[in-house]
Amino acid sequence: MAQQTLSSAMPPTDIYGGDEVSALVLDPGYCQTRAGFAGEEMPKQVIPSFYGHIDGRDIFGDEVILPRANFEVRNYMNRDSVVEDWDGATKIWEHLLCKRLQPERPTPPSKNGLNIGDGDGDGDVSMEDASGGGAENSVGDLEKPLAENPVLMTEAPWNSAKAREKAIEICMESWGCPAFWLSRTPVLAAFAAGKATALVVDVGGANTSVTAIHDGTVLKRSIQRSPIGGLWLSNQIRSMWETSDPRVDLVPTFMVENKKPVEAGAPAEARLRNFPFPIAPSFRAFEEERVLTEFKESVVEVWRGPGRFQPNEDYAKSQPGRVFEMPDGSNQMWREQRYRVSEGMWDDTVAFDQHEGRVAKSQTIPGLIKAALDGVDVDLRPNLVGNIVVTGSTSLLNGFNDRLNQELTNMYPGLKIKIHAAGLTSERRFGAWIGGSILASLGTFHQMWISRKEYDENGAGIVEKRCK
Amino acid sequence: MSGQTSKWREEQILVICPGSQTTMAQLGCGELTPPVHRFPTRMFKDDESDDWRPYRTYKRKKAVSTPSVSNGASNATTTATAGATANGAAAKDEDEWEYVEDTDSVEGAVYPIRAGRIANMDAFLAFLDHVHGILTTTYHNTPIMLMASPQWTRPDCEAIARYIFEKTRTPALCLINSGIATQYGLKWPNMTVVDVGFEKVDVTCIYESQVVSHLDVGSYPGPERDVSGGEVFTRKLASLLKAKGFDYEMAEQLKKNPICEVLPYAPDTPELMELPADTGDGSKIVAPIADIDDGLNIDGKDVEDEGVLDVANIVVSGQTREFLAKKEKEKAERAKAGRKAKEREGNEAAAARTARLPNSKRPWNVFHYEELVTEEVPVAAPVPAPAPAPAPASIPAIAPTPAGIENSTTDVTMGDASGATTGTAPEAATATTAPIEGSAIDVAKPEPSADQQQASVGSEAVKPEEAKAEAPPAPAAPETAQLTEKQTKRVRRDIEIGIERFLFAERAEIDRIVTAIYRAVQGIENMYMRPYCWENIVFVGNGTRIRGLKDNIMQTLQARHLVSPSSATMFTSELPSNLGTPSGTGSQTPTGSFTGAPHQLPTTSSVNPLLQAATTASLGIPGGPAAVAAAAAAAANANAPGSNAGDASSAPSHHFHSQTPTTIKLAQLPTYLSEWTKNGFEEAMFLGAQVAARLAFCIHNLDVQGLESQRLMSLTRIDYNEHGPKAIRSHSMLG
Repeated sequence: MAQQTLSSAMPPTDIYGGDEVSALVLDPGYCQTRAGFAGEEMPKQVIPSFYGHIDGRDIFGDEVILPRANFEVRNYMNRDSVVEDWDGATKIWEHLLCKRLQPERPTPPSKNGLNIGDGDGDGDVSMEDASGGGAENSVGDLEKPLAENPVLMTEAPWNSAKAREKAIEICMESWGCPAFWLSRTPVLAAFAAGKATALVVDVGGANTSVTAIHDGTVLKRSIQRSPIGGLWLSNQIRSMWETSDPRVDLVPTFMVENKKPVEAGAPAEARLRNFPFPIAPSFRAFEEERVLTEFKESVVEVWRGPGRFQPNEDYAKSQPGRVFEMPDGSNQMWREQRYRVSEGMWDDTVAFDQHEGRVAKSQTIPGLIKAALDGVDVDLRPNLVGNIVVTGSTSLLNGFNDRLNQELTNMYPGLKIKIHAAGLTSERRFGAWIGGSILASLGTFHQMWISRKEYDENGAGIVEKRCK
Repeated sequence: MSGQTSKWREEQILVICPGSQTTMAQLGCGELTPPVHRFPTRMFKDDESDDWRPYRTYKRKKAVSTPSVSNGASNATTTATAGATANGAAAKDEDEWEYVEDTDSVEGAVYPIRAGRIANMDAFLAFLDHVHGILTTTYHNTPIMLMASPQWTRPDCEAIARYIFEKTRTPALCLINSGIATQYGLKWPNMTVVDVGFEKVDVTCIYESQVVSHLDVGSYPGPERDVSGGEVFTRKLASLLKAKGFDYEMAEQLKKNPICEVLPYAPDTPELMELPADTGDGSKIVAPIADIDDGLNIDGKDVEDEGVLDVANIVVSGQTREFLAKKEKEKAERAKAGRKAKEREGNEAAAARTARLPNSKRPWNVFHYEELVTEEVPVAAPVPAPAPAPAPASIPAIAPTPAGIENSTTDVTMGDASGATTGTAPEAATATTAPIEGSAIDVAKPEPSADQQQASVGSEAVKPEEAKAEAPPAPAAPETAQLTEKQTKRVRRDIEIGIERFLFAERAEIDRIVTAIYRAVQGIENMYMRPYCWENIVFVGNGTRIRGLKDNIMQTLQARHLVSPSSATMFTSELPSNLGTPSGTGSQTPTGSFTGAPHQLPTTSSVNPLLQAATTASLGIPGGPAAVAAAAAAAANANAPGSNAGDASSAPSHHFHSQTPTTIKLAQLPTYLSEWTKNGFEEAMFLGAQVAARLAFCIHNLDVQGLESQRLMSLTRIDYNEHGPKAIRSHSMLG
């Protein structure tokens, strides 16, 4: 708006244009993808990284994951938290950054509102009769959608060079971003905790990593990771349910039409839903995970001591139990088992057998921390142990910090151990995103990022040189 | 000049709640009334310039050159000449062309908001300007309270702020999240707001006035959007009744009719509802609609009919006082008659009573469909007295109809069920000759009485002064001397509807809403907030006016998701999972980390005693009668075994790791606002927007803290000038 017809008694002292647009922060993980504006406390958009695929189309967000015909659930990340399906990644990111965080872009004049009959172009096409193919180029055929927004993206510390180049390519080529930066999640999590040097223990959904950060850079040799994250824990619960007597059936919520209260331990009396179409295993697995998450939230605890769980099992039995009601209404009390499922994170000998094989001692959290610290200079270790940052959703398990403290004290009796774990649930869950939000809103970030010009001059390879 | 001192008066504040179909707006928030104005949220692109117009405007040849006008706008119901509506654009080609503004046409309409999202910002800003222009009289000092859907993006909000401050003289703007607005209207600090709109459903969980979780259904961006909300039901109804010749309009009207009902959730039946069995002939005897066991229908009619009183006629003929007196009398009489009728009903044979089953038990019921039919008819006589230029003909609620008995409206009744149409003719005659009387008769009509219905379904349908509020029938301007003119007739038909009127409530759609509610509440990151949100669910949005919908959703939630107290904890001293653990370190107590929170200012002093009890219980005041009472309340509240309440009350913090929901309850609605009780709290967000407007703009004498939070509730021009549009990010109530 160039012409400014101000009629007010006090006209604005300045003309405000698009110069105030702040950066977007995108934090993709295996379980969730988080996106929002830099400088905000929380990501505006948090959606599952799992997305729906139906009749050749991809749809995103928790609300669309419903039982339907020909519906399957996919994930664009792999269990290593590295992007695997770039096609899906581009679409889900576009969905978040361009469609959810930005206003709907005006339709080209050829089909603007003037010829509204019913459902022309902007909506109204119901799921059943919408033909495939419309979505793929919905952003592509418009002008570059993010031409005004710098993007900060996060990545796992072990991300491959190829994947990093691909990320900058998408931002620069497809979205037309003016600037780009790629940052590693542990660095950002440490940043969110206000630390430049820290040992970051990130217990996430798909895996757990321990990384030493020194002066804002990752110490490459310290990077340790293992699969013992939320999904691993879910599988521990599954194994426990399968082996328990009586066997616990996992009926996900979407299967249940309604339920009746039953006695503890009694078989469920629920009316199940019948679907006139087959339910894809991927969808069912996704839905089962919801139940397991609820179980983790409300029942599972980390054994806080004294000592480890194994020698104290009898004592654990005397501890108060917790009742869990399954979606179909069956319920039972969980006592020592609720400690036992999580004990494998600390003590590999207690872990349940899983299809993917057992964890090794080096893959437990104490094992990871030891390996990480062994990988760094001896002089740095006290500083790192004194600045331990705990992040990731799975670290929200009840008792986690107590146990971590206990294990560390046993391992490093001479050192001062200090654990920093955010009190707010959301800060723990979105640690890396919040760090990114802080970083991207700093004035100095403008001197740091890779500008469009640099990218044009050097190509995608610049990201390897710059984002160390 | 500082922002703090410049407070505004309550009657100066403009409150606007835009929806994708209808926008509620009103100037002043002193009385906390239901919305005074409702605007259809649509704009029309001007054919020649790039401007937007609030009504469809088209150019047509003046009648002089073409005596028989057929301008292609066959669906237009009323027309008004350019001159009458002060349409200044019609300067050129004065001789041949004229501009016609059609207030009812939706041809070419652009709906700026779609499923909560702003689909067309230009049109939306033009629409805001239109609303602002109509409602504000003074040219300055009118702060705006504008409700924002959760789907509005940050750039959207900034664009709106920029427009408002640059194009109008508005001194302050407050954007409020629709969920928060609802919460201000209902005054519970924690609640789950389920907003069923036209094409979308929003579930917003609020804890201590903060949005802690949100999910929307049906507002998916892009072409894959899978519409949800009230529209789904209309479409389903239309498709079910297609064979009966129902179109969308009819289905929409039927949906709003109380014979259309969502039956209670019946967990054990195959269809999950108890459909009335079609017993064949007996029950098919027409059961009059007025019989339906609630006053919904009757109320609605009353309001509507009184709303369309021909104010202009009354005023013009100078009989105001007599008329009012007469009307009062009639009202009293009507009440008496109603009572009598009821008594009579009571004395009637029991056989009649059996026929008077509630709607939900009947396989058939009659739907009185009313439609406006417009057709071209030759004008009988030259029209005398020109209508006094109807002032802003655009204010729908009180648009005056031009005086004169040559009113182009006549009434036709087509009873296709059973109906003696005999009474029609004389009544219509009186109507045309004496409009005032006619409207009075009309008002008296919709009174339910058993004897009336059977006999004269048809004659009851006569509406002498039927002009819908939005459709003031204006006679074609006399100087054009047309040979034909448009006539609008209200046609009433009685249609028998079978169980389609129950089947329209698709399980899939209800399940979608239920799932969204479940996921939204269970998705709250801090588990201790979930029980509060489960215990205070409120349904708003006019989609929830469908009879029985709310109840069905609640019943479904309860049958499907409620976690019962387990027998495993009943007789032991174990800690059940539905009570907090006494193991908190306090490190996760969520204090103070939120900044910029628009706190509930002093007016919100009503706190749920149960809630308060529960909170104090978890804070663990040892001993004392308060703690005991609180523990009992908490136990009763959570429906938990009493033996454990003591454990809970000793819990030191919000350290809560329990399975939810153990209770699912509707939030209680306030009872002290009688006008809103009548209006229904479906539009509670408008009430809340008014409350919030008062807090943001009108309250003074606050302490320092209060002042600061008040400053952050709205964006003043001073702050705007200093920080620009981005200040709306922090100076707003967007949750």
